[in-house]
Amino acid sequence: MIPYLTKEDFKVIGFNLCRIGNVLGFLLLVPIIVAVIYKEFDIVPHFIIASAVTFILCNVGIHFLQTDKKMELKHALCLAAVAWIFCMPLAAIPLWSTGTTGSYLDANFDAMSGFTTTGLSLAQGVDHLPYSINFYRHFLQFVGGIGIIVVSLMILSKSEISSVLAFKGEARDMGIRPNIVRTSRIILGIALTFMVLGAVLFSVVAISEGANVGTSVFDGVNYSMAAFSTGGFAPHSQSILFYHSTLYEIVALVMFLIGSFNFTFHYAVLSGKRREIFKNIEIKTVFITLTLSTLVIAGLLLYFNVYSSASILFRKAFFQAASAHTTTGFGTINSAQIAGLWPSAVLFLMSIIMILGACANSTGGGIKAIRVGIIIKSFFREIKKALSPSSAVVTEKYHHIEDTPLTDTIARGAMLIALGYVILFVFGTTVTVLCGYNASNSMYETGSAVGNVGLSSGITSPAMPAPLKITYIFLMWAGRLEIIAVLVLIGFVILALRKGVRRR
Amino acid sequence: MKKAFIFAAILLTLMAPLASSESGQALIENAGRFDGMPVTFRGEVIGVMTRGDFAWVNLLDNEGYAIGIWCPAENAKKISFIGDYSHVGDNVQVAGTFHMACTEHGGDLDIHADNFTIVAQGREVDKSPSLPLAALSIVLAAVAIFITFYLWRIRKEREKILPWPSY
Amino acid sequence: MGLRSFSLRAFLKKNLDFIAGILGEVGLTAAIMAVAFAICVLLVLIKSVV
Repeated sequence: MIPYLTKEDFKVIGFNLCRIGNVLGFLLLVPIIVAVIYKEFDIVPHFIIASAVTFILCNVGIHFLQTDKKMELKHALCLAAVAWIFCMPLAAIPLWSTGTTGSYLDANFDAMSGFTTTGLSLAQGVDHLPYSINFYRHFLQFVGGIGIIVVSLMILSKSEISSVLAFKGEARDMGIRPNIVRTSRIILGIALTFMVLGAVLFSVVAISEGANVGTSVFDGVNYSMAAFSTGGFAPHSQSILFYHSTLYEIVALVMFLIGSFNFTFHYAVLSGKRREIFKNIEIKTVFITLTLSTLVIAGLLLYFNVYSSASILFRKAFFQAASAHTTTGFGTINSAQIAGLWPSAVLFLMSIIMILGACANSTGGGIKAIRVGIIIKSFFREIKKALSPSSAVVTEKYHHIEDTPLTDTIARGAMLIALGYVILFVFGTTVTVLCGYNASNSMYETGSAVGNVGLSSGITSPAMPAPLKITYIFLMWAGRLEIIAVLVLIGFVILALRKGVRRR
Repeated sequence: MKKAFIFAAILLTLMAPLASSESGQALIENAGRFDGMPVTFRGEVIGVMTRGDFAWVNLLDNEGYAIGIWCPAENAKKISFIGDYSHVGDNVQVAGTFHMACTEHGGDLDIHADNFTIVAQGREVDKSPSLPLAALSIVLAAVAIFITFYLWRIRKEREKILPWPSY
Repeated sequence: MGLRSFSLRAFLKKNLDFIAGILGEVGLTAAIMAVAFAICVLLVLIKSVV
């Protein structure tokens, strides 16, 4: 029997939401450092205003929403869902006030795209954006990739219980260490390590390819943040194509492939358990699905005479497939070209691999490799059961850091999430088609939004109808939270409406 | 009559570099049609990378479509301004061969320039801070700091009577 | 007052594991790319023959 909601339930969520908002207030001040370096003193007030508004709202909220009620799982799940929605309009302020986007709705779109590491963008004139704003966009993705909850836990957390619950609410099922706060710090440590490594590699390659040092370093930092967070924002409108460099693309591939791996996997490997590279179900699943999709996509592009050489197929077909599968969104081909040049069958296949997604507990989106692996193993288990005598006991297990038996509960959980993504995909495609776009481009764009990928067939633009922008904001948000937190939030709201809210 | 003819010829010669160019959108969306053909493209310089005797120059047209131009390095050296937040880049017109998926450059869409003309030099853009906005930011910052510490003080006093939530 | 015991071996092992781990992950991505490139080469070869 579901208990009545009380005012205290909302206070628990609101109080912790405001604490997370305070963290955002500090994060909004970070781009000021970049603005000062590049002497963009006209941009500094925009960040100060956004930060001040955030602090005012959140501190008033903390003061009036204080409660002695303990956080429960339902609160944590709602908190995880609402945190993104709460932070989005605040993070959108600098994007809107500086004229980066044409409207406040577009700014919210970009803010959500940043937090959810999607990468679809409505920003105008990316090549002429202030350096601080460009940095800010990529910084949002870096923070979003680690998780706003994780960042907050690392800075704010006092106790374990709420930390565990909030951590789980943000669709991070596995703690790396028993202590969740320590886990959050380890996640940040891993992310920063790879971010610095990526920044150095990108900068060195760019300089060797003839770009000037200033541009190389600035781009290196931004591309590294976007690559590791599998975000896909780029400091240039041409994305990775700006550099016309195979080597630069290889560095990008390395960084976003690494970014798509599970943080628990990172911790295991970096702690000495290197055998995990060969045994982990997610690595094996991603390897197989990516290889198969490369085979089919490259095969189709070759068959339809779009590209003719192996190196071009690698740079275009494999890079795009990897970018889609890891839900990164970097493009080595212009989005208008994808729609016009690539066959519909390829676009459809790309939509599917976007939904399959990266590894769980990573910066990536989609259904997640562990669930795909579990679903595939479940199919094999059912086939084995059918072929075995009725008295036989058929078991299956999978290895993710440790060997785990594949139970019906686990299989059902994986299939439910997968079904949720499919429902979102169908819903999004339907809305896009109703707005007048063709079916294959609609599927591609919806797959990109739901899977938090960021590749575009050209539909995402400032000229997009407002209802479609709102739909994609919802899809990016729901996709990032793996649907469950969103459904609990909806349940919360329905419960409040049906049964009312009691005082205590 | 003869003078008019000579005048027209001179005028046409001068205008040739400024002949109408294809838009980035047209080139990209109809890449198959333009593949291998001579085209003219005009845009603002947003990126330059020198590679030995040649260089990549990325041009952005006024509709927001950017294309990479492969040209001799000496052309890139003539560029004075690269477009960014505080600069308008040189406006360049190129004439050359368009490639939908250049086999020499890993399948990239590009133009190999035969003719490279700087139509207009770029410039610095004045981006001075707005005083009203700066004043607003200072006021809001002061309000935020005041509210934060004031409410924190009240909660600290209240804590002595009613403890913080222990979660 | 006792000093916290410091093991040079443990310190070196931890850092070597870390570096080896990074190299391992980079190696994994290189393997993925190598297989993809091999597939592209194979497909082009098959098309040239067929």
